[in-house]
Amino acid sequence: MARAKAHPRRKPAISEEDPNWDVPRIAYLYRDPSSSTLRVNVIATYLGEVVGLRCEVRDEFFVHHGRADPEGLARAIAATRVRHIQRPFEAVEPLYGEVQFELRLLEEPAKRVPGILYDAYRYMALMAGLLPAGERSLQVLHIAFPHRLLGTFDEDGRYHARSVVCGYPSMVSTSGIIEAPAKPEAYYRVKARLSIALGSVPFEAAKEPFKGRFIDYDDQRLTEVAKGYALQAAMYHVTKEAFCDDPTCRLFNAHWQAELIRAQIASGRLCARHRAMAARIRERAGSPRPSSSG
Amino acid sequence: MPIFGKASEAEVTRAILAGFTKDLGEYASTEVIIVGGGPSGLTAARELALNGVKNVVIERNNYIGGGFWIGGYLMNTVTLRAPAQKYLDEIGCPYKKYSENLYVTPGPHACSKLIAAAMDAGAKIQNMTSFEDIVLREKNRVAGVVINWTPVQALPHEITCVDPIGLECELVIDSTGHDAYVIQALEKRGLAKRIGEGGMWIEKSEDAVVEHTGMAYPGVIVAGMAVCSTYGLPRMGPTFGAMLLSGKRAAEVALKELGRTPKKRSK
Repeated sequence: MARAKAHPRRKPAISEEDPNWDVPRIAYLYRDPSSSTLRVNVIATYLGEVVGLRCEVRDEFFVHHGRADPEGLARAIAATRVRHIQRPFEAVEPLYGEVQFELRLLEEPAKRVPGILYDAYRYMALMAGLLPAGERSLQVLHIAFPHRLLGTFDEDGRYHARSVVCGYPSMVSTSGIIEAPAKPEAYYRVKARLSIALGSVPFEAAKEPFKGRFIDYDDQRLTEVAKGYALQAAMYHVTKEAFCDDPTCRLFNAHWQAELIRAQIASGRLCARHRAMAARIRERAGSPRPSSSG
Repeated sequence: MPIFGKASEAEVTRAILAGFTKDLGEYASTEVIIVGGGPSGLTAARELALNGVKNVVIERNNYIGGGFWIGGYLMNTVTLRAPAQKYLDEIGCPYKKYSENLYVTPGPHACSKLIAAAMDAGAKIQNMTSFEDIVLREKNRVAGVVINWTPVQALPHEITCVDPIGLECELVIDSTGHDAYVIQALEKRGLAKRIGEGGMWIEKSEDAVVEHTGMAYPGVIVAGMAVCSTYGLPRMGPTFGAMLLSGKRAAEVALKELGRTPKKRSK
């Protein structure tokens, strides 16, 4: 599984790559009803154009797959919460109120409540467990767009929020895109200064001088950014290769919002190497050449 | 001619006693006991009282209002993020817009208005009274609280044999701030546990506090900053908007638990 930090590895030449590729026959994309600016059908079209995948857009993941036992599901989701960001995951029986909270979110999927971090891999395993047997194979790609904030525990001894976690299913967190890559350094200084002066965190006031320099909640650019992360998930599924070192490639692993905007908005393209790979995937998927090169 | 009418010392004493015992007698058994008279507790008390629910606020200090008197760094301007300023409209407290979605008001004004609004609505307040323990009934449901005079805690050990008293109720709201004393009492019995406050400080944490406000244990609703320590939510600093809306949510949950329909209110 891949998350934000890529491990260095030798980049193979394209010709030696594809024997082990898994080109799915279909990709299912799951909506996030809590994001007013996320247009999953646009992302589906984009994946079709760039890597030739046949995509189908579905309702929110748990709405689609988790109707059977809402209370059990709420309990299982609550159990993936991160209790201490500076300790590895500890399995804890969720509290009654936490289960009720998750139940409310399941009942109202349009409700968005960031502020809670979930262990990405446990969350992913929970989702994988809900997939029907017929859809649980490398022939089927699943990309969910959860609004929950997902994190992974890293070598530096703490959890980090993530924008994308590639695996099975892959997840592009719509709150992670906003919260995970760091905003301009000066933003944190302004926020700290205003917080001391006002006694609370004046997010709106602190953000004002930096508007446009990071992706915000309900940002009109969210779909464009999510396209790149969905493409990362799709290409990872096929090639098992995570991220690109080229900061102008859509597969670049952005740690800063400025990097994210550069890769996904300003460039909005794949590097030459990944363009070639995308073309091979497209051929394998049996799709005609797209109108745009991605 | 004297300014004040005549009243003997004994009569003054009897008046205090009569008023106090009447209230205490009435609230020995009540519908909701709110432990903690900070902003979330007072808001819950007001909302419940406006809906005709008999409730009493237990406050260990002499003063009511908790941290609502002052903002950060002991400065007495408090901030609220939209839409919490609407609650200030409801209680008739003036405020100013600081920036988009951020409002400021003097802490003493907001706090005293909130106290008055809760009491005007019919909430009772029992100050200088410390929460000591919970009353448990069948299936370990919480059915009341054990209280004592706050000064008893300050007395020397040899003379602290002052037994507490119990109050019965249908629901307890834990609005005791970071300490979450009611949840702690359950924790000591192995009936519940607190996760402790989280370390992350991210946007929209206030939403998480409001959304987690609710039943934490049979008979116990958790509100305000107690929500943070119960569920390990991010620390927020003195963000009072979440406290007011959490108190409001606690009252809504209590009404539902009591099987009461919220009264419609004119805006």
